[in-house]
Amino acid sequence: MDAAERDLLAETLRKTMTAATGQALDASLTDLGWAELLAEQPDIAVPLTFRLLGETGAHAPLLNDVLLNAAGRPVGGTLPLPYTGGTWVVWERDDSAAGTTLDAELPLHTVPAGPPVPLAAGRVALGWWLVGTGRAMLALARQHAVDRVQFGRPLASFQAVRHRLAETFVALDGAEVTLVAATDELGALLAKAAAGQAALTAARHCQQVLGGVGFTAEHDLHRHVRRAMVLDGLLGSARELTREAGALLRAGGSAPRLVHL
Amino acid sequence: MSVTSPPGNMDVGGFRWGLRAWLDEHDLSPGPDHSLDAQVAQLARVRRALFDADWMRYGWPAEVRGLGGPAVLRAVLGEEVATRELAEPGIYSMIEVLAPTMISYAPPALAAEMVPRLLSGREQWCQGFSEPGSGSDLASLTTRAVPRDGHWVINGQKVWTSLAQFAARCVLLTRTAPGHNGITAFFVDMDTPGITVRPLRTMHGVDEFAEVFFDDVVVPADRMLGQPGDGWRLAMDLLPHERSTCFWHRIAHLYTRLDRLVAETSIPDDAELGAAYLALHTVRCRSHATQRRLAEGERLGAETSVDKVLLATAEQRLFETVRDLLPGVLELTDTPWRSEYLYAKAATIYGGTAEIQRNIIARRLLDLGRE
Repeated sequence: MDAAERDLLAETLRKTMTAATGQALDASLTDLGWAELLAEQPDIAVPLTFRLLGETGAHAPLLNDVLLNAAGRPVGGTLPLPYTGGTWVVWERDDSAAGTTLDAELPLHTVPAGPPVPLAAGRVALGWWLVGTGRAMLALARQHAVDRVQFGRPLASFQAVRHRLAETFVALDGAEVTLVAATDELGALLAKAAAGQAALTAARHCQQVLGGVGFTAEHDLHRHVRRAMVLDGLLGSARELTREAGALLRAGGSAPRLVHL
Repeated sequence: MSVTSPPGNMDVGGFRWGLRAWLDEHDLSPGPDHSLDAQVAQLARVRRALFDADWMRYGWPAEVRGLGGPAVLRAVLGEEVATRELAEPGIYSMIEVLAPTMISYAPPALAAEMVPRLLSGREQWCQGFSEPGSGSDLASLTTRAVPRDGHWVINGQKVWTSLAQFAARCVLLTRTAPGHNGITAFFVDMDTPGITVRPLRTMHGVDEFAEVFFDDVVVPADRMLGQPGDGWRLAMDLLPHERSTCFWHRIAHLYTRLDRLVAETSIPDDAELGAAYLALHTVRCRSHATQRRLAEGERLGAETSVDKVLLATAEQRLFETVRDLLPGVLELTDTPWRSEYLYAKAATIYGGTAEIQRNIIARRLLDLGRE
């Protein structure tokens, strides 16, 4: 797939995700050939699709497919997914299960523990989703800072505001390169931790920059904040995974260098 | 291929393999003396040995006695030097800003004569940029250069000049006219009459920085780097070098310190250890991507401020973790950790403060307009 084809695919996906979400989006993506794209070119399908889910604020039960595909099983179903704190959840394919999690749009509910799942593939996919969600929050906060005038000046002219947004930008860019570099179990673990941390950093700073309006239900920010929090816990939170990385270091006696010139 | 000679081809893997084999056979480990004098002598020894064995010549152009090949070979060499702790990485990396400046701006004959002296460890050089009144606001510098009888006469003061007391030459920024376009660079011999060097005492106990005073210092006109007014552009052109190769060296150094911490600590605080590792891994991935962009011919710009913020943050987090996981060690014992911990405090100050980097990100990458 060359750059032009990738751009076209991204445009198509973005339009699809803007038009539908949840069960309807799942159906649209199936019609577009999601299963074939995932099977044949997961390195393109996963970053693009999951980042766009984050940026558009749409959702679909595609994490199931990534894990099923990595396990060599047919896609289209569901499987129990480990969640932070030792609980397990299922991400249903229809919308009727929605309404109980902090992000009430997502059809997640808790289930008894299941068999092990291929974590690395799922963590990278969720990492891209979290970075996309972070970028969506940053875009909202940036626009608000440019548009909103107080004391006769745009908020964006105040250094305290600028530095919060810059901090968010750094966190998201940092997380993104760890995702690109995630080619093994440890790389995926670190990338999910970086992405979760970046999305939560974005949530904190963007909420503050958006002030009162960002606290209202009519503004989109809270949807992204909720999503970031729920996705962070899936397949291991940033906090848990960071601790796990530290334990691996102590057990191994040194710090693995994962990328090389 | 013999392990005593560099590879004929320029691929990175072959270079690294050959270099490692050569270093395994040629012990360049430093001696027990950790004084600054000893560090600088060790740096010269390492450079000379690597230059004589050709490793130091790869990644530099033939005009300065280099053997060509991509600049990434210099990053590989520096990573190996840092990982084996052969030389202090901060002063080792100074060639990465000094030599490219000379290659780009010095008259070709001057670069051809001088740069090999630096690469081969026969000379140390310094960089006279910051002034007492011009830190973050570098473009406000006031050290004046005035033409007189076919020469230039320089008066003023520099500060934070690394290794000035050891340096034979200085890449010096002066003011020749008002504004950004009134800054002019010179290549000055440090033994010229009128130059006084006074080392600064710093809180980490290593006097590697100095104040340098210029009193009617006469510099020949052919020692100008570029044209009058090119100085600001010269300073800006350093950034891609500093933020690619130098950063890669520093990251390699920080990994050695994390390894050492893992070996020495008995406190099972996996969360803090993991956070330090995650921050280092993140900046390593970022720097790797930056090296790749540079290798593909991209021009680096404001986005390297992200690399700088990630690196400074990772360095400070690492050394705070050292303090937390080796409780009492750097307070109560005579350990190298103490000086390194204190030096990390400067990571968000040198090379453009953390605040300046965030200003650049806000203005140039987030397009937030003026403050």
